[in-house]
Amino acid sequence: MPMPPQDIRILVVDDMSTMRRIIKTILNQLGYSNIEEAENGKQALGKLKKEKFDFVITDWNMPEMDGLELVKQIRSDDELKSLPVLMVTAEAKKENVMEALKAGVNNYIVKPFTPEVLKEKMEKIFK
Amino acid sequence: MKELEEIIKELIENVRELEGVIEGIKKPVSESSQLIPETAKNIEDVMVYLEQTSHTIMSLLEVINNNSQEIDKNLQSLLELNPVKSIREKLELIKEKNEENLNKILELYTHLSFHDLAGQQLKLVIEVLEKIKSALLNIIVSHVTRGKDLKEEEVSGIKGKVSQLLSQDRVSQEDVDALLEEFGL
Repeated sequence: MPMPPQDIRILVVDDMSTMRRIIKTILNQLGYSNIEEAENGKQALGKLKKEKFDFVITDWNMPEMDGLELVKQIRSDDELKSLPVLMVTAEAKKENVMEALKAGVNNYIVKPFTPEVLKEKMEKIFK
Repeated sequence: MKELEEIIKELIENVRELEGVIEGIKKPVSESSQLIPETAKNIEDVMVYLEQTSHTIMSLLEVINNNSQEIDKNLQSLLELNPVKSIREKLELIKEKNEENLNKILELYTHLSFHDLAGQQLKLVIEVLEKIKSALLNIIVSHVTRGKDLKEEEVSGIKGKVSQLLSQDRVSQEDVDALLEEFGL
C-alpha cells in the first residue's frame, strides 16, 4: 500500500529561495506537507545523513555542490542509495537528461513546469 | 662620455615610448574595465529585485489562495445543507469558478519560476563580463611586457599593478614611474 502523501518526508534542494517556495507550495496543494529545504547539495547531503527522508527534489546548478554531484553521492552511500530523486532543472538538453539518468535520478522535470507534470512524476515514483 | 649620452637618450626615448603605449591603451581599457563591474553590479541589483518581487507576489498569492480555500470549504458546507435547486445551482457555479481560480493561482506560482530561469541567464552574463575584463587586462599586460625578457612572477606583478591602475580614475606620474621601475627602466 502506498504511503499517504502527508507522511512522505520530502527534501527540496534549490539555491533559489523562490524556486523552493514554488515547489513547496505546489507539493502542499498536492497533499504533501512534510517538506524540508536545503540551499545546495552539500547542505542537502548533511541533512540526509542526519535525518530520514523519503524523497529528494533537486535542482542541477547550485553553488558548493550541484544536483548531479548530490545524486552521485546519494547513490554511492549505502544508507541513501535507494532514496528516490527527482531532478527539476533548466538544463533541457538531451545529453543533460542522459547524464542525470546515468548518475541515478528517478525522474527529470524541465523548468518551467506545471503542477500536473510534478503530480504525474511524483505518482510515477511512488506507484 | 658621448656613449653615455647616447645610452641616456635611448633610455629616455624608451620611457617615452612606453608612456605612450600605456596612455594609448589605458583610456579605452580603463573605461571598458570600469564599466564591467558597474554593469555586473546593475545585473546583481536586478536579480535581487526580481527575487524580492517574486516573494512579494507569492505572499499575495498565498493570501488569495488561502481565502479561496476557505470559500471552497464554506460553499461545500452550504451545499451539504441541501438547499433549493435555484440556490444549489448558484452555489455550484460559485464553487466551480472558485476551483478554477485556485488552479489559476497554482499556475501563477509555477510561472514565477521565471525568476530562477532569468537569474541563471544573468549569472552567465556576469561570467562573460568577468572574462572580458580578464581579456582586457591581458591585452594591456601583453602590450606593456612586449619584447621584455620577464619572469612569470614579474609579469604577474605587473598584471596586478595594471589592474590596480585601471581601477583608478587617472594614473599619476608616480604610478607610471612605479610601473616603469617594474621593467628596470
